Amino acid sequence: MNRIRSVLLLGACFFLCLLVGAAQSSADHPDFSGYWALRYDSMDVPFASLTTQAAAADKNKQLEHDQLAIRWCDQLGTPAMMADREPLDIEQSPTEIAIVAHPPSSVRYIYTDGRPHPNKDEFDPTTNGNSIGEWEGQTLVVDTVYFNDRGVTMLPGGGVRTTNSHLVERYTLSSDGQRLFVSFTWTDSKVFAKPHTYSYMYYKTKYVGEPRIESCNANDTQRANFLIAGSHTKPTKTP
Amino acid sequence: MARPDNIPKIALLILSTAIFLIFSGPMAAQDSSPSHPNLSGMWLIQDPGSGSFGDFMNNIPAPELRPEIVKQNEEAAAHAQQTVFHDLNDHTNCAEGGNIVLMMASSPAMSILQSKNETLIAADSNRSRFIYTDGRPHQDIHSANYHATGFGDSIGYWEGDSFVVDTIGFPNRMCGGRTPYLETPRGGRALPTTHLLEHFHVSADHTMLTITFTWEDPTVFLEPHTYSYNYKFLPGAFPFESEDSQRDAEYQQRLRTSVIAPKQQ
Repeated sequence: MNRIRSVLLLGACFFLCLLVGAAQSSADHPDFSGYWALRYDSMDVPFASLTTQAAAADKNKQLEHDQLAIRWCDQLGTPAMMADREPLDIEQSPTEIAIVAHPPSSVRYIYTDGRPHPNKDEFDPTTNGNSIGEWEGQTLVVDTVYFNDRGVTMLPGGGVRTTNSHLVERYTLSSDGQRLFVSFTWTDSKVFAKPHTYSYMYYKTKYVGEPRIESCNANDTQRANFLIAGSHTKPTKTP
Repeated sequence: MARPDNIPKIALLILSTAIFLIFSGPMAAQDSSPSHPNLSGMWLIQDPGSGSFGDFMNNIPAPELRPEIVKQNEEAAAHAQQTVFHDLNDHTNCAEGGNIVLMMASSPAMSILQSKNETLIAADSNRSRFIYTDGRPHQDIHSANYHATGFGDSIGYWEGDSFVVDTIGFPNRMCGGRTPYLETPRGGRALPTTHLLEHFHVSADHTMLTITFTWEDPTVFLEPHTYSYNYKFLPGAFPFESEDSQRDAEYQQRLRTSVIAPKQQ
């Protein structure tokens, strides 16, 4: 009888310990809210392994595409908005996370409410795509699809963002909460011979300079000439 | 090795520890402040009954405007039919547009996200309006270091179930818009002397958000101008990204020549 009682008690303890683990994990996700800046030592970017077709693509044409987007103050999109040297503003609620960048770019939303990606025919592709996130322990894993090919499309390390691109990011806080590590893995069968991964280390900053969003003047001719006429590319049409 | 008659004691010790951890962990993780309605999500403005997108902003009680503002509006209406109303290429001493006006008459839904220290409000591709909820006071809007934008400087706090947003610090002159000043509905203005108070209230079933706007500025209004808009919650919706580009000549022309809402498709 004592043995049976002991087994039952041990079983109850085991079950309760499982509950504790679940309660802890649901209540204990890190909060990434704050301002995060890149510094000189923030980037670990290897060269991408490109498909033959992508490697042979006209790099000058790709550069011109991106320079024109910057020159005309178009939405930059991902990955450019994640690589700006002005701090990113990350704000986290229980159901979604917003990332606001300083240069012209839509707010990037990461939905953590369990929703799946929408059907392809129900979502107009954007420069930031559609992002959903889920927690793996203390790491937020973000899955993004439905990019368009507008804005700045060249990727760190090589390759370009296309309508076929798929991005997986992993966000992890340092133990002291002062650094945010983000890895970016791009896959696109038309661009990459194998998935292309690079990483950034953002530093937490108290900077809140105003204005928080850059005012971009497309009619600034000096700026336009610098971006287009001053580059080594030969524009196919006038800026 | 534990003796059989020690197993119940060990099990009781483990059980006690587990119960302690269950109740202490989540309780420690709870926010110590009272819970407030969650405004996060997509909200679509509801036509107050105008039946016309072009009249959206005007289907509210008219403000009591100062005579000089009324006269300015009449002059602006006369100019509106001409090719260029003001020099859109002049970006000196002006501020970029914010999205407060988009909150009032926008076909793309508005996206609100509440984090612990800020509330963000974005619409279309317009980046976010920032409302600080960390208890900070307004910035010194008279300081040389203050950069006015069409968003103004907003701080927010809760009064019961209402989220109150207090905004000051609007710009003296706007860049690139149809008028050189930030327009408010039915002929008002948002200027450096203007104060905006907004009350956000969500219905009990979380399907409708009502925002009451009160504009105060003795240089514009004879008395505070108050009106409300309702916004319907859109569960599972996603923000829209405009593809308007300034390299598009037609888009540039629209900005310069029209004070009437563009033709809806």
